[in-house]
Amino acid sequence: MTETPLEQLGPVDYVVVEFPAGASNFTGEMAEELVRLVNSGTIRLIDVLILTKNEDGTVDAMELSDIEELGELQALEAQLAELLAEDDVENLAAAMDPGSTAGVLIWENLWAAPFAAAARRSGGQLIATGRIPIQAIIASIEADEATATATEGA
Amino acid sequence: MPLRRARVGRAGVIGAPVAKTAVVAKAVTPGPSPVAKTAVVAAAVTPGRGRRRI
Repeated sequence: MTETPLEQLGPVDYVVVEFPAGASNFTGEMAEELVRLVNSGTIRLIDVLILTKNEDGTVDAMELSDIEELGELQALEAQLAELLAEDDVENLAAAMDPGSTAGVLIWENLWAAPFAAAARRSGGQLIATGRIPIQAIIASIEADEATATATEGA
Repeated sequence: MPLRRARVGRAGVIGAPVAKTAVVAKAVTPGPSPVAKTAVVAAAVTPGRGRRRI
C-alpha cells in the first residue's frame, strides 16, 4: 500500500450496512460499485469487516479474506489496512439488531483530500463535520409544505 | 472466525457504541410513494432552489 503523508490524508468515513436476517440479496452489485469507486480514485478502501450479531447479542467478526469467493474484491483486500481494533467491533455492533449481518467499510475520501490539504495549508482547521440524514431533508420539506398550506388557508 | 492478531489489544478508532440510524424507508411518513419522495428530496438539494430563509 502506498503511504499517504498525514497532511495529505483525505477525510476518513465509515458505514455499517445492516442486512436483517433473511433480507440479503447479494448479486455482486455492491462489490462492483465499490471497486468502481476505488478504481476511479474517488475513495481508498482502508478496512472492511463483516459482523454477525447472534440472537444472544454476541458478535462474530469476519475478515474480508475469510470469504472464499471474493471475486472483484480480491484486489482490494490485498490493499487493506487493519485500522479497526477489537474494541471497535463491539462499538459498531451496538447499532445492529440481533440476527442481522453487517458490512463495515472504512474509506478515505480521496476526492476531498486536495481541498482538505489546501484548507490545512491555509491555516484552517476542521471544527465540525457531519451528514444530513435524508429523513431530516424530508422533514424540512414537509414542514415547509405544511406552513405553505396553513398560510394559503388563512 | 477470530479477528487478526493485529486488531487485538489496540486502541480503537470508533470511541463509543454506535447508535442505529433511522432506516430511511421506515422513516418516510405516509403519503406520496417513496419514488415521489425521492424526487422531492432531489429537488430540495438542486442548486438555485433557494429554500433558505433567515
